[in-house]
Amino acid sequence: MSIYKSLALGFTALVAFGGPAAAADFPVRPIQVIVPYSAGGGTDLSARIMADVFKKHVDGGTIVVRDQPGGGGAIGTSAALHARPDGYTLGTGSQGPLALLPHFGGTDYSLDDVQFIGMMGWNLKLLVGCKDAPFSNFEEMMDYARDNPGQLQIGNSGAGGADHIAIEAFAKAADVDLEPVPFNGASEGMTACLGGHIDAMTSTPSEALPHAQSGAVTPLFIMSDKRIPDYPDTPTAIEGGVDFTWASWKGIIAPKGLPEDVLATLKDAFKATFTDPDFVSKMEEMGEFVEYRDGDAYRALAERDSNLAKEVIQDLGMYGMNK
Amino acid sequence: MDILQYIAPVFSLEVMQVIALGTLGGMIIGALPGLTATMGVALLIPLTFGMEPVLGLNMLIGIYIGGIYGGCISSILLRTPGTPASAATCLDGYPLAQKGQAGKALAMATIASFVGGIFAAVVLATLAPQLAAIALKFGPAEYFALALFGLTIIASLSGDLVKGAIAGLLGVLISTFGADPISGTLRYTFGVSGFASGFAFTPALIGLFALSEVFVQIEKILVDRKADVVKVSGSWPSGKDLRSSVPALIRGSVIGTILGIVPGTGSGTASWIAYNETRRSSKTPELFGTGHMPGVAATESANNAVCAAALIPLLALGVPGDVVTAVMMGGLMIHGLAPGPVLFQTRPDIIIGMFAGTFQATIFMFIFGMLGIRLFSRILLIPKRLLVMSIVAFCFIGSFAINLNVVDLYTMVGFGVLGYGMQKFGFSQAALCIALILGPMAESNLRRGLLQTHDNLVDFLSGPITLVFLGLTVLSLAWPLIRGGLARRRAAAANTTQQRVLL
Repeated sequence: MSIYKSLALGFTALVAFGGPAAAADFPVRPIQVIVPYSAGGGTDLSARIMADVFKKHVDGGTIVVRDQPGGGGAIGTSAALHARPDGYTLGTGSQGPLALLPHFGGTDYSLDDVQFIGMMGWNLKLLVGCKDAPFSNFEEMMDYARDNPGQLQIGNSGAGGADHIAIEAFAKAADVDLEPVPFNGASEGMTACLGGHIDAMTSTPSEALPHAQSGAVTPLFIMSDKRIPDYPDTPTAIEGGVDFTWASWKGIIAPKGLPEDVLATLKDAFKATFTDPDFVSKMEEMGEFVEYRDGDAYRALAERDSNLAKEVIQDLGMYGMNK
Repeated sequence: MDILQYIAPVFSLEVMQVIALGTLGGMIIGALPGLTATMGVALLIPLTFGMEPVLGLNMLIGIYIGGIYGGCISSILLRTPGTPASAATCLDGYPLAQKGQAGKALAMATIASFVGGIFAAVVLATLAPQLAAIALKFGPAEYFALALFGLTIIASLSGDLVKGAIAGLLGVLISTFGADPISGTLRYTFGVSGFASGFAFTPALIGLFALSEVFVQIEKILVDRKADVVKVSGSWPSGKDLRSSVPALIRGSVIGTILGIVPGTGSGTASWIAYNETRRSSKTPELFGTGHMPGVAATESANNAVCAAALIPLLALGVPGDVVTAVMMGGLMIHGLAPGPVLFQTRPDIIIGMFAGTFQATIFMFIFGMLGIRLFSRILLIPKRLLVMSIVAFCFIGSFAINLNVVDLYTMVGFGVLGYGMQKFGFSQAALCIALILGPMAESNLRRGLLQTHDNLVDFLSGPITLVFLGLTVLSLAWPLIRGGLARRRAAAANTTQQRVLL
């Protein structure tokens, strides 16, 4: 055999090996899941628990979690959506980068570029009253907000993020004038809240729980459609007469154009993972709310929130500001 | 006795092994540029899923303490800050190593880290609930005033005031790149989505200090072939070095502990402020920056004091003191343990176990550090032309590893060229670095505060802590003048006495 022939053979083998794999032998190597937030955060930890359980349901299904933070999640999300669509690079898809950020204009992707695979669960939101706040329940807060337009200062985890847009949406629904105060991350905001430097803070049930238990903050209302077990005495906004709910979500997304069979394998695998009792119990221990939804329902939710957020962002005059 | 019953388990062989391993691993992570203590802790959290809480958490504490210490090794030997916390250690540690005193510098850094760490651990174990209240006193105004005070370091650190101010302002300007902290608008990203968060800090630092030094070394080697190997001698600081460093150790430990308690400031800020305060109160400020032992003692005692101190607000209030403890909080939550005053009552075993683990990790760090000095300093025996090449490789790997973002590599190279130019033309890289750390803190808090007070500057700046820091800021700027005045008066007085004696 001439050297050229063997080279050619070797090359063909390489091409065959590197080409799109059939579902029968998917996955043959580790699957990368890009988390667009810092290591150690809620999404990162959820993804690592997911990776642990995923192994059980897929033969040779190793997931490598890759944290690519920055730009409020836009950098990592963009990387996941611009990856080669072979099923070996996926991403976690959250409300902020998918449904909110594209409206500001600074992202190089939109909802149309997303292949939704399966939703993992909710990030519920809770409004808490801070130290020395001039109110201690939902009604008192609303009275204060109406009597003092533009004075009620509500902290959030970052400008243009889900917590910020949520409180603007609430102000719109309740027809009050609030003053959102953006912080650099949730824990910085919570510290300011515990110190009484702001009046109220958009938080999550798990972050606020120890402080609510010690009495350092007062839960005002939960932004879901019904009360939750950890906060049996905290009403929803609807109970208080304001037609408003808001919840963030997360799940697994991929770039468009995956081979049909690979997509089907992934959808089944993540359904099995997210409904696994082991996964659910580990997540609940961490204070997460697990709920599986299939790709289509996940997409519908993202589109609904995207439209909702678009209106709020337009009202704020922030639409397309980063174009 | 209750306390003993909780401490005892922490001294079991199993726990001690895990803490020792964590500390050693942390030292390696810290010494490698780009792998920071934050990343080490975050990546190992999943390992703690299946562990007993005390075991898992103490491993994380070991990584944290080892990681912050480990940063000094590469700072001193290679001028490559292993973690941002050790950037200030480059200033005096690296010149010492270049003078052939790498062993001494490393020993001093190890002693300082130990002193700072133990001091803060004692404060943590005895005064945590009382001192934690400080953490909550800091609102936007206080942070702004603190950042402003920190920025005055630039004036005293840079020899040439005008060039120092230019470097500092350039740093503040660079720190405004990326998303606006209050409105979210993107600034100066030129449509590159990878820059949405501005220049990443660690890659910028690696470029500024390490890559620029590589350029300088290459230039030296080209000019003088003999400059290829650095001498390595002596691994114990002399009695004189130790004595002269005592005030620096005390200052570093206290400043590190206080700034560790204040959330969001971190070890980077603490080590710069400690360095500057030590220099300011020194009788020989001109020796700082040329390889002066107290310089190393101040920065390293401060950054390791921050470690234990940052646990104070985390455990006592459920408020993380810095980025690493924020990640550690995630580790606690996984075990269903929400830190805060309630945990003190419900799980004293965890709290006391973590206190004991902090002491243990600090002691292990000291032992491993001391044992390792001879080994570490042998790196300098590698001919420079080979060494610089591997440093270049590490600059790239480290900058990429931190966020896995390709634009961070451009950032690193850009800052390397900038740093080289600054060295050549006598601009202070330290000034730029301080501005990069404190610029964003000053900007976001000023704007947040003005938003809250509806643009009323008087309302914003009238708190007592704010006024103290503003006073210190003025004092710090006026200090060179005051000192000059005092010196002249003393000289004049001395003159008159002399004249009297002569008469």
